[in-house]
Amino acid sequence: MLYVVLFFLVFSLLLYVVLAGADFGAGIVELFSSEKNQQITKKTVYRVMGPVWEANHIWIIIIMVILWVGFPGFYNILVLYLHIPLTLVLLGITLRGVAFVFRHYDAYKDKSQILYDWMFRISSLVTPIFLGMTFGAMISGNITVTDNYETLSFYDLFIAPWCNGFSFFVGLFFAALCAFLASVLLIGEANEVERAIYVKKSRIATITVIILGFVVLSYGYINETTFVIHFIKNPYAITLAALSALLILPLLRSIRRARKVTTRTFTGLQVVLILIAALIAQYPNLIITSESEISILETVATDSVIKVLGITLIIGGLVILPGLFHLLKSFKMIKIFEQ
Amino acid sequence: MDNLDAARLQMAFTLIFHIIFACIGMVMPFFMVVAHKKWLNTKNPIYLTLTKSWQKGVAIFFVTGAVSGTALSFELGLLWPEFMKHAGPIIGMPFSLEGAAFFVEALALGFYLYGWNKLPEKFHWFTGVIVGISGVASGILVVSANGWMNAPSGFDYINGEFLNIDPVKALFNPAWFTQALHMTLAAFTATGFAVAGIHAFQVYKKRQAELHKKAFKIAITFGAIAAVLQPLSGDLSAKDIAERQPVKLAAMEAHYHTEKGAPLYIGGIVDNEKQEISYKIEIPKALSFLAFGDFNAEVKGLNDFPEDVRPNVAIVHYAFQIMVGIGTLLLVVGILFFISLKKKTWWQNNRFWLLFTILAPMGFIALEAGWIVTEVGRQPWIIHNIMKTKDAVTPMPGMIYSFYMYVILYTVLTIAVTWLMVRQIKFLNNSKSV
Ligand code: HDD
Ligand code: HEM
Ligand code: HEM
Repeated sequence: MLYVVLFFLVFSLLLYVVLAGADFGAGIVELFSSEKNQQITKKTVYRVMGPVWEANHIWIIIIMVILWVGFPGFYNILVLYLHIPLTLVLLGITLRGVAFVFRHYDAYKDKSQILYDWMFRISSLVTPIFLGMTFGAMISGNITVTDNYETLSFYDLFIAPWCNGFSFFVGLFFAALCAFLASVLLIGEANEVERAIYVKKSRIATITVIILGFVVLSYGYINETTFVIHFIKNPYAITLAALSALLILPLLRSIRRARKVTTRTFTGLQVVLILIAALIAQYPNLIITSESEISILETVATDSVIKVLGITLIIGGLVILPGLFHLLKSFKMIKIFEQ
Repeated sequence: MDNLDAARLQMAFTLIFHIIFACIGMVMPFFMVVAHKKWLNTKNPIYLTLTKSWQKGVAIFFVTGAVSGTALSFELGLLWPEFMKHAGPIIGMPFSLEGAAFFVEALALGFYLYGWNKLPEKFHWFTGVIVGISGVASGILVVSANGWMNAPSGFDYINGEFLNIDPVKALFNPAWFTQALHMTLAAFTATGFAVAGIHAFQVYKKRQAELHKKAFKIAITFGAIAAVLQPLSGDLSAKDIAERQPVKLAAMEAHYHTEKGAPLYIGGIVDNEKQEISYKIEIPKALSFLAFGDFNAEVKGLNDFPEDVRPNVAIVHYAFQIMVGIGTLLLVVGILFFISLKKKTWWQNNRFWLLFTILAPMGFIALEAGWIVTEVGRQPWIIHNIMKTKDAVTPMPGMIYSFYMYVILYTVLTIAVTWLMVRQIKFLNNSKSV
């Protein structure tokens, strides 16, 4: 049953990154567009994301719940030492969610739209950066686990874990990944004239992702970050990362030929490959502190809890996944079946 | 202010905020589907206008509810890491089921909002019903988790460790049913009266009276039925408390001395120093009867409990008085409404509309007061008789800044949402279709 739970954990994480990532990315693409294109993007984003908007963001709640129920000790470390970036993520999620509804449901479309738009765009950029920083912080090796809070300074305990170069670059990398997902998604949804905008954007995003990926790895390598060393030495991780890199060529070609389905498949696959590579490199020691590595399996809840959690997840999955699939299909997010 | 107080205030503040949005997000869909059904049956365009305008309300409140709820699901861990470390696995079941219910709700809402003219008519309407049902289900589940904090069960507590965890038993803890029933009714009462009040005000102002009267009737019907049932369910809750958390009952009643045939105190000013309550109305033997169904039963007083396990008596007592006072008021008004269905002339009288306008916030005030009774009344325990709140709080200093941040954020949000609603109503009043 433990593996069922872990499966749902990884599955939710991947879905969150891909779906919510594309959603954050849409705001980032909008942020970095000319004024005219911003309005176009706004409309397209609403059409594409509107129906699934809520659902995309619930994955993070599922992740939290699985962590606190199934892996309480692991969760405990995250919420204790990464309190600040998580709070900032929350702040971003809140402002962004609110801005999204406001700009579409305000009965009057007047000047206040400008405010909503900027709130939406800026929080779309900031939130994934902090989310990425939180991921980065988990593996940056700067967390100090202790019972004596008095002996260490506030900075060492609660700031240093996430406020460092490595985490920051992971944050930027993650935001770029989101922009990449979104721009590719948008290509398929735009009409002939607008498509050119997103083709250009997705090229820029692809290149940014590659550059930032290198930055993260080389920064980590130079500073001898444990994670990066493990990553580079792990044959599976490297193979997957290489595979993901190899996909870039067919992806670019597919973008040029405006092949919607293949483009999306390649994009999703790339992101999933990168994530799995990172997970494999570190599994099961998903937190790296300044002294040791903490395994997610060390802190697992008792069998009875895991069993009930697993069963709940399976039942929930059986209800939710067909519904989600149907929703995506009804509103033509995926057109695999039409082709 | 110390860290613990800041964390408590932050928790209280965010919950007080969330509960408003959660309740509206949970109950509004029912109003919406009733209006929608009437539109399908009568093809009266007023109902379509109403449905579409309530649907916008649902969408706005759903998202505000969802983001503030997401914030809460982080906060439980961020503020109370020790609590979640031990309680998380035990009360994970309601929370994971709640996650599923939210998910169903979000999916159904996606279908509903974007399904106009795309989905078959009946199916489209039905997705609206699912939004409502799953909203109520998630409300019940989360309250069950809260019930567990009041009536911990489903584990053995041995030497400070939580062993032999049984999540199913924790889900169906002794408090879950009374609390969930009372809460669900409260959500309907509060939202019903609030929405009805807003529309009553528009009738009062003679703006689009036909539309607003229809809206009023739908909302108040739900609200009034719930308001009539509410005191009954509240009595069940009180009897439960008397068994399970006698110190909470004593605080609710500001009852310092253990006695047989205890009187019920209404109102009054609590003096915790002198351990008495002055200027109260006293009803002999009533408390014994209400709590145990026996006029001569013994009711434990606060003095029977050590000082360090007593909650803040004044807050709990006043909050309880507010809840019960409003509960009685709404019961009466609810009955008045049913009479008004027979006496149509009342509906011509502007004072009728003024009355409901004034009552608009009452349900929510009672609801917040009720939660204050439950939560402050449980203090100093975070898990009743097992873990103290002060042992659960995060060791990170500076929580007060986090609290300030939330206050600013949520104040701005409240203002913004209110402003949005005002614009929604203005828009509705100017709409041509009616
Ligand atoms: C519209 C709101 C509303 C109204 C009119 C009432 N209540 Fe209430 N009450 C609530 C809303 C509420 C609540 C906010 O929903 C609470 C908090 C926790 C809970 O389960 O329900 C609550 C809690 C609560 C509790 C404590 C439960 C606990 O701690 O577990 C008691 C004893 C009562 N109520 C009793 C009453 C009585 C005797 C009422 C008679 C008129 C009444 N309530 C009206
Ligand atoms: C009595 C208290 C509560 C009730 C009745 C309640 C009910 C609800 C309801 C009905 C929703 C759906 C949102 C909507 O329809 O607008 C919601 C959202 C949410 N609530 Fe609460 N809630 C309560 C307290 C809490 C607490 C303590 C938590 C934290 C663990 C929480 C977590 C959430 C989450 C995560 C969401 C968002 C889910 C989504 O995206 O749909 N709630 N709540
Ligand atoms: C939505 C309605 C609710 C309101 C208005 C509310 C209000 C409050 C208040 C006022 C406090 C502070 C008490 C004090 O420290 O004196 C508090 C604490 C707390 N509440 Fe609630 N509560 C609600 C529902 C819930 C639910 C559904 C849960 C959990 C499932 C919950 C979990 C907690 C926790 C963990 C604390 C902090 C620990 C404590 O002070 O005991 N609350 N809440």
